[in-house]
Amino acid sequence: MVLGSSHIWATHHIEDIHAKAELGRYRIRGFSTFQKVTHFDDLVFLSTGLTRFPLEGYKEKCNTQVVLGARYASEPLVIDTPIYVTGMSYGALSRNAKVALGKAASLVGTATCTGDGGMLQDERDASNKLIYQVLPSRYGFDPHHLMGANAAEIVVGQGAKPGTGGLLMGVKVADNIAEMRELPLGIDQRSPTRHPDWLGPDDLSIKIEQIREATEGRLPISVKLGACRVADDVKLAAKAGADTIVIDSMVAGTGASAEILLDHSGIPTVPAIVQAREALRELGLYGQVSLVASGGIRNGADVAKALALGADAVAIGIAALIALNCNKEIPGTNFEDEIGVKAGYCNRCHTGLCPVGIATQDPVLEARLDPDEGAERVANFINSMTMELALLTRSLGKGDVRSLEPEDMAALTIEASAMAQIPLAGTNKVFGM
Amino acid sequence: MVDLDASALTTTELNRKLRELAAQGTEHIHILNPQARHNIAVGLLDTCSITIEGSVGYYAASLMDGPQVTINGNAGWALGENLMKGKVVLTRNAGASLASSMRGGEVFVAGNAGARAGIGMKGGSLVIGGDAGFMTGFMMQRGTIIIGGDVGEGVGDSMYEGTIYVGGEIGSLGSDAKIEEASESELIQVWETMERHGIHDRKKFTKIVSAKKLYHFDSLERLEKRAV
Repeated sequence: MVLGSSHIWATHHIEDIHAKAELGRYRIRGFSTFQKVTHFDDLVFLSTGLTRFPLEGYKEKCNTQVVLGARYASEPLVIDTPIYVTGMSYGALSRNAKVALGKAASLVGTATCTGDGGMLQDERDASNKLIYQVLPSRYGFDPHHLMGANAAEIVVGQGAKPGTGGLLMGVKVADNIAEMRELPLGIDQRSPTRHPDWLGPDDLSIKIEQIREATEGRLPISVKLGACRVADDVKLAAKAGADTIVIDSMVAGTGASAEILLDHSGIPTVPAIVQAREALRELGLYGQVSLVASGGIRNGADVAKALALGADAVAIGIAALIALNCNKEIPGTNFEDEIGVKAGYCNRCHTGLCPVGIATQDPVLEARLDPDEGAERVANFINSMTMELALLTRSLGKGDVRSLEPEDMAALTIEASAMAQIPLAGTNKVFGM
Repeated sequence: MVDLDASALTTTELNRKLRELAAQGTEHIHILNPQARHNIAVGLLDTCSITIEGSVGYYAASLMDGPQVTINGNAGWALGENLMKGKVVLTRNAGASLASSMRGGEVFVAGNAGARAGIGMKGGSLVIGGDAGFMTGFMMQRGTIIIGGDVGEGVGDSMYEGTIYVGGEIGSLGSDAKIEEASESELIQVWETMERHGIHDRKKFTKIVSAKKLYHFDSLERLEKRAV
């Protein structure tokens, strides 16, 4: 045996120690966790047979429209597909990327979301339905923007790095970004993690009331939580008056995070949805408070499984960026020269050197992303996922994605059975019950 | 001038009425019996003048862009939160998170303020006649805070820019905050600001600014180059 065979002292741990011995601080990267966790691939659908009839898979009518935040809001968010684009800041992303995402969402009748840097007017103009985030930093927070939004989202935590605020390296705190955030040019921006004006759930209820007052009760108000103590957090958010609760799991993405947080905090998407669903059920609010899941949604099957577990919709981040050409060689790029790894291996969003013009503030790199072409690709991708979702739904004999339920699935592993609280395939046994 | 009896209205009705009256160009609105309720005068974007006779709860005069609000009483948390422009005057004491994330305009508190006054402040001017609590000016980005009396522990912690002037004792400086000698002209400006609010005691104010030692990570990996 040689050292490379050791799981404890794997080569990436050795490289990590060498790097930190030079650097003297935690390491930072973008993208998502490298932990091997239970995910949607560990669940399968039990399609129809003799016990129930399928719908015609390719054509028959299947509703994909969902309504989010109807608990108190007079104008809840109605989206034509239960997939929307999550909050990613102008700063982490380029202007062209933000505009492309807004246009894509509008093309497919869904929503997009601002992120930790304030609202870009071009993004507002591109987005028919825009969710305006209320973050601890309040960078660029403007009551005019709030009142002109279609929903508000109070961010308590982010799944990729729960318990910490945003991070934007100085190379990306360029002129526009520094001015919008009212920060010194080029600083390594480490955003606050606690809100400035409220601390606990009782204060949060007054904050929610404040936003409701400012928007005359029109906007649905969501509370976004990093998935940690999900059951308790969901109950407290629901009690505080949230119309929608967004559970962002440890699998979810980021433009920059300390690596140590990405891989060692939070819980995966599957158990997070189940815990949130059960918490709402315990309060008698399941179905009244909308539930959105995010983290690791890659295709229509992931969406269908999230909905079957109890989510009303999902939010996508990384997948939308990949549709924008993240990790793809395109004319003009040379990943190995420009960012030191081959296309398909890049998670260096935080460096601002994104070869495809998405996670950068460099105008030369940004020009490689055409917002109209990018919008078309993202719209195609969301449409593809929506079709896959409808296909799976019909194969289960259902004509509405809102009818998907845990009973439609089996688990492939004991862990998935325990986390999803559904039977292990080939048995009637739910583990961990 | 229009009188509004808050006790006869829900908070939502009161805020709606305020918006309507401001949009109609009503010059002065007088609110009676606020009952220390939360969220009074929230989200007002038109210029108008409002006087509230009595104490208010959390988030009074918050998310505003333009109005001048005077409160004859005490206020709960987050008075003047995210003020864009306009003016908020409180005749007695304020709770925690006074003027948090304010971006412009002026907030004046004649009495004392609780913890985290001026937290995340992004512009404008916050003036406190009396004392301020712990973590005043936490992660402040821009603007000016003037405290006539003492300030608690951790003042100016992690502040980026902006200036804090303290007339009395300082509990302790926060991380990356430092004391800098105030110039004569700066002191005159501070005194004149206090005098505009009826405080004529010309104290030797201590000036606190960012030490700017936490602006950047000390080291970078190969691809993490600096912008400037």
